[in-house]
Amino acid sequence: MTLAIDFFFSFRSPYSYLAAPRAFALADDHDVEVAFRGVIPMAMRGQSVPLAKRLHTLRDTKREAQRLGMPFGRVHDPLGDGATRCLLVAEHAVDMGRERDFVLAASRAIWAEAVDVATDAGLRGVCERAGLDWSACAAALTDPALQARVDADTAALAALGHWGVPVLVLDGELYWGQDRIEDLERVLTRQLA
Amino acid sequence: MSIGDTIQRRVMPRTIVGLSTVRAPGRVAASVRRARGGRATVRLFVAFDDPYSAVALLGLRERLARRPADLVVEAVVKRGIKDDPAVAAKRAHAVTDARRLALRDQRMLVRQAPLVARDVAFLATWTAALPQAGGRRVAFAAAALEHLWFASGGAVTPGPFRALWHEHAGGAEPPAAHPGVAAAEATMRRRGLYDTPIATVHGQWFFAHERQAQIEHRLDELGWGAAA
Repeated sequence: MTLAIDFFFSFRSPYSYLAAPRAFALADDHDVEVAFRGVIPMAMRGQSVPLAKRLHTLRDTKREAQRLGMPFGRVHDPLGDGATRCLLVAEHAVDMGRERDFVLAASRAIWAEAVDVATDAGLRGVCERAGLDWSACAAALTDPALQARVDADTAALAALGHWGVPVLVLDGELYWGQDRIEDLERVLTRQLA
Repeated sequence: MSIGDTIQRRVMPRTIVGLSTVRAPGRVAASVRRARGGRATVRLFVAFDDPYSAVALLGLRERLARRPADLVVEAVVKRGIKDDPAVAAKRAHAVTDARRLALRDQRMLVRQAPLVARDVAFLATWTAALPQAGGRRVAFAAAALEHLWFASGGAVTPGPFRALWHEHAGGAEPPAAHPGVAAAEATMRRRGLYDTPIATVHGQWFFAHERQAQIEHRLDELGWGAAA
């Protein structure tokens, strides 16, 4: 039986960027479906992040990125329009079956290529790299149904009693953090053996 | 995009990340220290109501035993981000998550629910009262955290810990208060170390329950490698 995993993700979270390749790859290695659940960044939900934590996150992400062999450091913080636009296009990408391509391309653009996804030029390049048609992506930016899905996913994370991302959920069990995917994999290996 | 926006969104993050990769000054300082026979120091801030602190201290103690490195423990009671609305949820999740982390080291965390900081504050006081020299403070803190999280699950009473204290402190009675706790909390505040268990390692800091391999990597980088 195929198991379902919810993958709560924020484009403003560098740890989500680190998690995304391995989170989506769970479906390659196990009999699971990974459902992308994009959430609005904490700082846009009225939750402030102290300066010390922000600084530590950047330094720690760099170390972790090096360990994982991922590029990191040429950043363009997408807080605000950039994050919102990516969330809306990601929902459109879900409908097109291309969310993995888009999420990986957009998060890499934000955290390793300093692409400003708040601009049409920046976002268009990412969409096209992910195999998405730009005119359809542009239409997604004003689609209230897609916004409603983003709001619902954000509310779903809060309803789970959780606050940060990335979070993976399997059978009601939460795995918070890009470095907890190995714990989830251990459970999958056991359950699917 | 305004200049202010550019600085905030692009220049600042890139600068912070770039500076974090500068290794030369740390390596030079470490080589000078080693040339004088100096060992590495890993300073770990722990709280007894924090299951992650138990995972961190027990794991680090094992890993550092193979290296020319001294583990120094500072005990605190107050920790966490000020006015964090998610603090209760985070502390409940920490118990589940710490159990998973402990399993990676083949340890079973048996306590099922979070502890209240004031109920175990006496352990921070007792820890602070022990000297770092000779490893007595580390040994007591590790034994207390192990008993608290890996060997017991009910209400916390001083009794079992009193025996541990005497094992490490000798005949003296444990103190009711000690300034070392407030001093350690002040150090954390001053240095922006906002929660436990944080380990500082010659200019860098890490959350020690989940970054033990990186702490070892840092020590390797500075020349304090593990014995073959």
